[in-house]
Amino acid sequence: MRRREALFALFTLPAALLWGCGNDDDAVRVDLSKREEPTLRLPPKAITYAYLPQYAHTVSYERHRLLLEYLGRATGLNLRQIFPDTFEEHVRMVERGEIDISFSNPFAYIRMARSGARAFARIIEPSGKPDFKSQIICRRDNGALKTLEDCRGKRWMAVDPSSAGGYLYALGEFLENGIRRRDFAEISFAPGPGGKQEKVVLAVYAGTYDIGSIRDGTLEILRGKIDIGQIRVLAESKAYPGWVYAARAGLAPQIVDRIAKAMFHLSMSRPDDAVILTTAGMRGIIPATDADYGSVRQLAEKLGLDALEDNT
Amino acid sequence: MIAWPKLSRLSFRTKINCGIVLIVGLITIPLAYLTWRAAAESLRAETRKRGMVLSENLAMRVSDAMLSMDLLRLKNMVDELKKVDDIVYAFILDRDGNVLVHTFKGGFPVELRTVNAPQKGAPHIQLLDDGREYIDDFAAPVVIVGTPFGTTRIGLSRTKAEAGADRLALMIVFYSATAMIAALAPSTLFARRVTERINRLKSHAEEVVKGNLDQRAGPRALFSCSSMLACDKTACPAYGDRDRRCWLTASPDQRGEGPESCRGCPVYAAQKGDEIQDLAETFDVMAVSLKTHLDELRRTERVLKRQERLLRTILDATPDLVCLLDENLAYLAVNRAFAAFVALDPQDIVGTTDRDIFPADEGTAMHDENALVLTRSRPSDREVSLRRDGATVWLHVVRVPITDSRGKAIGILRTARDVTQLKQFQEQLIQSQKMESLGKLAGGVAHEINTPLGVILGYAQLLQDDVPTGSQIHADLQTIEKQAKVCRKIVADLLGFSRQAESAKIEMCFNNSLMEAITLVRHAFSLEHTAIVTDLDERMPIIYGDPEKLKQVWINLLANARDAMGGGGTLLVRSRLYAAEQKVTAWFADTGPGIPAENCSRIFDPFFTTKPVGQGTGLGLSVSFGIIQDHGGSISVESPVPHGFFDSVDTGDAPGPGAVFIVDLPLDHEETIGGALPAGPMEG
Repeated sequence: MRRREALFALFTLPAALLWGCGNDDDAVRVDLSKREEPTLRLPPKAITYAYLPQYAHTVSYERHRLLLEYLGRATGLNLRQIFPDTFEEHVRMVERGEIDISFSNPFAYIRMARSGARAFARIIEPSGKPDFKSQIICRRDNGALKTLEDCRGKRWMAVDPSSAGGYLYALGEFLENGIRRRDFAEISFAPGPGGKQEKVVLAVYAGTYDIGSIRDGTLEILRGKIDIGQIRVLAESKAYPGWVYAARAGLAPQIVDRIAKAMFHLSMSRPDDAVILTTAGMRGIIPATDADYGSVRQLAEKLGLDALEDNT
Repeated sequence: MIAWPKLSRLSFRTKINCGIVLIVGLITIPLAYLTWRAAAESLRAETRKRGMVLSENLAMRVSDAMLSMDLLRLKNMVDELKKVDDIVYAFILDRDGNVLVHTFKGGFPVELRTVNAPQKGAPHIQLLDDGREYIDDFAAPVVIVGTPFGTTRIGLSRTKAEAGADRLALMIVFYSATAMIAALAPSTLFARRVTERINRLKSHAEEVVKGNLDQRAGPRALFSCSSMLACDKTACPAYGDRDRRCWLTASPDQRGEGPESCRGCPVYAAQKGDEIQDLAETFDVMAVSLKTHLDELRRTERVLKRQERLLRTILDATPDLVCLLDENLAYLAVNRAFAAFVALDPQDIVGTTDRDIFPADEGTAMHDENALVLTRSRPSDREVSLRRDGATVWLHVVRVPITDSRGKAIGILRTARDVTQLKQFQEQLIQSQKMESLGKLAGGVAHEINTPLGVILGYAQLLQDDVPTGSQIHADLQTIEKQAKVCRKIVADLLGFSRQAESAKIEMCFNNSLMEAITLVRHAFSLEHTAIVTDLDERMPIIYGDPEKLKQVWINLLANARDAMGGGGTLLVRSRLYAAEQKVTAWFADTGPGIPAENCSRIFDPFFTTKPVGQGTGLGLSVSFGIIQDHGGSISVESPVPHGFFDSVDTGDAPGPGAVFIVDLPLDHEETIGGALPAGPMEG
């Protein structure tokens, strides 16, 4: 190659590189100066359905989405799931009539029942029973914990002050064994929203707390995530009625009836229904009455829940 | 218009600096650009990824708040994002496309809502241009358990991101420029070091061109190879030499980077330099070799010049005419004798031919002879006669052809020797032989004729007594007597010529002999206006000779002179004694017309005469020659008379140039020699 050609190539190469590289995207011209303040449209009128927020809203949504779709189809009603952020809000919204159908634990129910809400159905737990209990767990290698008595002076993590299986049933069990809340070095509740049952197991597993209280079945959920063999169930509470469906005060009995019938119609023997029930974390829905929760009311009374609420 | 200097005229140092700057520039500028592009691309990709993550993360995080329609939480979420510098905006749409919350102040831009949306349930990026900057708009779907609940939108400023890339590029350019400047310093030092050595080499080369071969360009070694290796081979050319590397002086193989056998040598490892040092050292060795060769050449030249001078001296000293001719018969070289012969400068002869430097007839003949020798390639040997200054010059010419290695004649070596004298001797010899034969014949005949001639003369004289005086018969008898006497004279001359005449040598006075002859003829000569002037040596030299025969010689010479002068003139006779040479010389000079040169050599030949028939026999000088020879002397002639010969004599209006006969006679008796040597005119 002649010298002149070589020099030409030398100097044109960077130019070619410059030419070859550029902005290869097509920009859409948009005028950001034209403004308006957006206004929200109110959702259409519907029967509101709420799940006591023991899990994240998305979990709640996921669990009950299919059930709501089924109920809508089966009853011809327009049902809409709403998501209170806390137990307290849930109770208040039922009291204010913002939640028509409430799915809550027994303790929340007995509070809502004061405002006129009435139970009309309860679920059969995944264990196949219509009731459930608390489990008091500790690490398997914790030799200092053999009986409930050994829990004195220990650090305890519970799910939530309002959690039936995760706290109150276990608290009742301790009380029956003469152990009071002040006998523990510390009682903490799982932080943040959602997944609180799991958080308790993980806290005990990590050794952050000596004992933990969870509702039965939780350990099964965590199987695969942690080595369940490292967790030992120290004690179990008595069984109490499971979660309950309640209709707010003033909801038309016909509507409640239509919904109840549709619920009762669900059966694990039908594959479609089984999917709906399994997704919702239950094996079936059976009729219930307010009287079914007498034992819970007694426990609440024994625990002095009103005073408890004041303290929490 | 700027007149850029030609690249080839720039100094080597400038070229190195320019080259390094150019190389660094050509590397760093595209590198900076490519790095900037890559960084920009990477930043853009990172921005896109970040935007995607942010938008998807927002989409996931807003699920709970959207389910609970907690607008405050939603608002907080988008506002948190807005705190990030390059996020222009963030907002959330519900499943119907209504704006739930946004980060804009003073209302939501209407057009922004619909310019981007997730594609097939997946996030989508759209580049927006709001007139002031470019914005990457990220639209991520809010999906809860497979159900679309809305869209989160985040706008990231591409302009700000690219400003970061630009800052990066600026930084790269700055560092590149710094590197370029930093590279210049060592490059300048490097260039100076390299060019310094090259310039030293250049000046050394210039000195070599000027003839100074003693300068050194390479560094001097700290130790010589012999000291490093404790070598005791003093005969090695590298022994003790710190100026030249041993692999350059002692190695038989100096090709490549040095002999292979030197690779592992500690001397080689310690003293091997870079290419410039190698070049300088090789240059030094070359200069030394050159000097050695030049010295040898000068010595050889001196020897050759001496030999040439010797040869030239030999050639010039030889009287032979030597010349060398090429194949075209042109002169290649001639010696001094040849140049003198042709009366030309030797340099003027070279290149010419015989035709150019010889007369036409001679030149052609010589050229033809040369051509014949060249053609036949055989030597020739012959004698040639040339006319020079009216005389004939005989040359013995030898031509020898010169042949090349294949036998082809490529020239001629011609030598010519002047054999004129030899020729003359040969002629004289022949003449002598002829004379001898003629003398013997004449002597024999004269003896035979003398007796009857005496009878005739006797009877003629007797008969005269018998007849009356005055009668016819008496007159006739007188005529017979007279002619018989003439015949007797001729016979006597013939006898003299053949040396058969009786010779009676006695001690005699040379001057008296001369004066007797002069006195005898002086009167008769005066009648013919011929004056005889004498200039005789007063020491009266005595010689041993035949007075009669010598007088015959003197009278003969005087008579010849008179005859030569014809209408009269002056005849000078001079004698001188040369005691040291034991000889006496007599000169007989006339003021006549002289003798032609061609006759001078023949004038003593018998029967040679210039006189008309009947006035001379041509035997006079020949007989005189014989008499003088018989006396052990010599006789010769010179014409014209040497200048100044007549200075002491009044010759009147003589026509000149005249001739002078010179007779030398030996002295037989030392006692006859008396007094000091004369200061004669011929000895001057």
